[in-house]
Amino acid sequence: MPPLMGIEFLCRVADVLSDYLEGLNEDVIKDNFVIVYELLDEMIDNGFPLTTEPSILREMIAPPNIVSKMLSVVTGNSSNMGVTLPGATASCVPWRTTDIKYANNEVYVDLVEEMDAIINRDGVLVKCEIYGEVQVNSHITGVPELTLSFANPSIMDDVSFHPCVRFRPWESHHILSFVPPDGLFKLMSYRVKKLKTTPIYVKPQITSDAGTCRINVMVGIRNDPGKMIDSITVQFQLPSCVLSADLTANHGAVTVFSNKMCSWSIDRIPKDRAPALSGTLLLETGLERLHVFPSFRVGFRIQGVALSGLQLDKLDLRVVPSRLYRGFRALTRSGLYEVRS
Amino acid sequence: MAPPAQTNRSPSPSQPSGKSEVTDLKSQLRQLAGSRLPGVDDSKRELFKKVISYMTIGIDVSSVFGEMVMCSATSDIVLKKMCYLYVGNYAKVNPDLALLTINFLQRDCKDEDPMIRGLALRSLGSLNVANLVEYLVGPLNAGLKDNNSYVRIVAVIGVLKLYHISVTTCIDADFPAVLKHLLLNDQDTQVVANCLLALQEIWNGEASTSGDAMKEREALLSKPFIYYLLNRIKEFSEWAQCLVLDLVVKYVPADSNEIFDIMNLLEDRLQHANGAVVLATAKVFLHLTLSMTDVHQQVYERIKAPLLTLVSSGSPEQSYAVLSHLHLLVMRAPYVFSADYKHFYCQYNEPSYVKKLKLEMLTAVANESSTYEIVTELCEYAANVDIPIARESIRAVGKIALQQYDVNAIVDRLLQFLEMEKDYVTAEALVLVKDLLRKYPQWSHDCIAVVGNISSQNVQEPKAKAALIWMLGEYSQDMSDAPYILESLTENWDEEHSAEVRLHLLTAVMKCFFKRPPETQKALGAALAAGLADFHQDVHDRALFYYRLLQHNVTVAERVVNPPKQAVSVFADTQSSESQRPHF
Repeated sequence: MPPLMGIEFLCRVADVLSDYLEGLNEDVIKDNFVIVYELLDEMIDNGFPLTTEPSILREMIAPPNIVSKMLSVVTGNSSNMGVTLPGATASCVPWRTTDIKYANNEVYVDLVEEMDAIINRDGVLVKCEIYGEVQVNSHITGVPELTLSFANPSIMDDVSFHPCVRFRPWESHHILSFVPPDGLFKLMSYRVKKLKTTPIYVKPQITSDAGTCRINVMVGIRNDPGKMIDSITVQFQLPSCVLSADLTANHGAVTVFSNKMCSWSIDRIPKDRAPALSGTLLLETGLERLHVFPSFRVGFRIQGVALSGLQLDKLDLRVVPSRLYRGFRALTRSGLYEVRS
Repeated sequence: MAPPAQTNRSPSPSQPSGKSEVTDLKSQLRQLAGSRLPGVDDSKRELFKKVISYMTIGIDVSSVFGEMVMCSATSDIVLKKMCYLYVGNYAKVNPDLALLTINFLQRDCKDEDPMIRGLALRSLGSLNVANLVEYLVGPLNAGLKDNNSYVRIVAVIGVLKLYHISVTTCIDADFPAVLKHLLLNDQDTQVVANCLLALQEIWNGEASTSGDAMKEREALLSKPFIYYLLNRIKEFSEWAQCLVLDLVVKYVPADSNEIFDIMNLLEDRLQHANGAVVLATAKVFLHLTLSMTDVHQQVYERIKAPLLTLVSSGSPEQSYAVLSHLHLLVMRAPYVFSADYKHFYCQYNEPSYVKKLKLEMLTAVANESSTYEIVTELCEYAANVDIPIARESIRAVGKIALQQYDVNAIVDRLLQFLEMEKDYVTAEALVLVKDLLRKYPQWSHDCIAVVGNISSQNVQEPKAKAALIWMLGEYSQDMSDAPYILESLTENWDEEHSAEVRLHLLTAVMKCFFKRPPETQKALGAALAAGLADFHQDVHDRALFYYRLLQHNVTVAERVVNPPKQAVSVFADTQSSESQRPHF
């Protein structure tokens, strides 16, 4: 068996199950074990993976949701198997059936990016990279062919595509030409590296003296990206030699959990003052200074901008149906964003 | 996060409690068995769910077998699925009762709905009972010729299952020939992939006994067949692609043109979203170009980017698997990756097995230009909460120091470690400073100045203590307190548990004596006396040896114990032979 095939398959099974059951934990599996058996039956046979595309599986086995539960109570029919075989298994484009019809045709393209960065205690950016995905949500009649092009494709360092993307147009002109599966799917993922700037800064200061430690963390915006940054959180783990912590913030809420994890949720930076967290940490007896410094994990979300600078150029259909609505959004989130102290 | 509060849930059908439930079920099923009331399907479904849930948890429900079979006469697919699942599980134990279900299964194999046909075939195949196999052959034959591809897919895997139950039936019914025909001619790629899988397994099993099977297996690796598969590779599903790529690895191409053709064809697989496909393609490339060294180097460059992306995206398990492969490549060709060292920086929340591997790779890719930054990064990890990782990172700094020629900054860093008050940091750093001095004796002044300040009480670990003592002995002319420290250590001889430390102490005291005789004389006497009385064989022998040498001739003793030494140029254990073996 090729390396990674087992692990990838297990990750895929987990993804499909959590997609169907909206979450993945023991209780959910126990409550829906019939669906789980059915899915496993279709996904793997005698040890070899068969069909794992979620859109195909949805046609064969309907997911349990409120609507179908209500329907089944009303009509007394709780079979969730499709009566006919999904048309997709017979078509040449295995991820799309041939007889889809919508009254309103629409296609939305989302650029979802995650920024990973490491910043050391002097505020210098050690490493910064962005992992992004282009997600497409399409509801279009028939079997459409889409082409998507970027204004600056050369900043992307490494790309990988959904199987539906044709390779030649990308190789020659950096154009994505594809027949999309119906609904939401991940068209391609890319990596952009060597970024120089980060949107927010977090300045931690820890001083220790004779058994107690003072800690001071400041958060602010640097290199304003133009759009509102929200859902800002700062989390850090107190080292085990700290007995207790007394922290207050002038904006947002601070919580210290029983496993010594501190979480400060700021949400948005107010215009009039810079949010700051300060407090004291009590060290265990005998310890003069703090030797182990925690790392701060920063979370944020910026809607409306892709920090890598990637821009979409155009999105066309080969045959434009009567009413087509196109939408485009961008979102940047923090990935593993770490500030050392 | 605080754990969610425990909710009070009413017992669902998946939380059964006892054996009496089984007999209850039996009677309830029997009641429903012949009934044709409209609501009966729902109640049957609930009961079946209970039976399956008991089965899953491990409670033995085989006694309801008869009733289950009676109830399975239904047109509801979910009920059928549950019934066949149950039958498949218990058929081995109750083969005669399994015979009862064969009727239903055979009837379902001829049903109009292809999903039901497929389901029935799959369940027939999972029955796994030897004397029922003759009932399997007919439906399988029909299934292989079915005009719906879903049924064909299931039939092919069914042939493989039959092979595992009963080899002779499978071969006698001539299934391999039918499969081969499908393999070469079927339109649906999933059928082709399943045929490939089934035939590979069957022929591998037969190859030891039958010459035909061996020939067929060789034929799989023939050029026309491989090219046929490669030309259609994009149409296969991602898992089937992995299978095809696995086969291609075993193929031996005739000349370099073929090699380039194959590589051009597979180039775009490196950009597939599925990591298993990317890795399998990388394996093919590396294997094909093993004999062509310059193309091999280019292949490293080409697969670098996708592999590095895979390291950082995906679950920790995937990261670890890809990192292990990268580790191999980095060991073979470190200069290819020397610009990408930033990818191997550790995030603080990664699991420790991933961090450990990344540390090894950082030491391997360090070269003159990146040493400073890498060492800075490693020093950050030394302050990490995770103690084994902190130790590993200090050792990594030491390894880099031993590999490079320009060690200014590194020595400063190591000496800074010695001043940190954490005992494990000091311990690791001492061991490294000792090795550093063996290679670069010119740094002795700076190092000794710092080491001399370390109180020997703080150092408890045997390796570190031994390192400290070695330095005391070797550089006793520079360290003013050396004889007195050694003397106090000798006084604690009996409390010293490690034989290694005692051995080093003996030698160090001797060396110190040769350089500063008047101060060390008393310590020497005490050490030799204690050594001779020691119960450990090595310590005793060494003490005796030194005593007799000194009695014989002091200058000879000095030549033996403390000759002028050369700096060590290469340490033997930095060269690992494992990375030189061919691995592809």
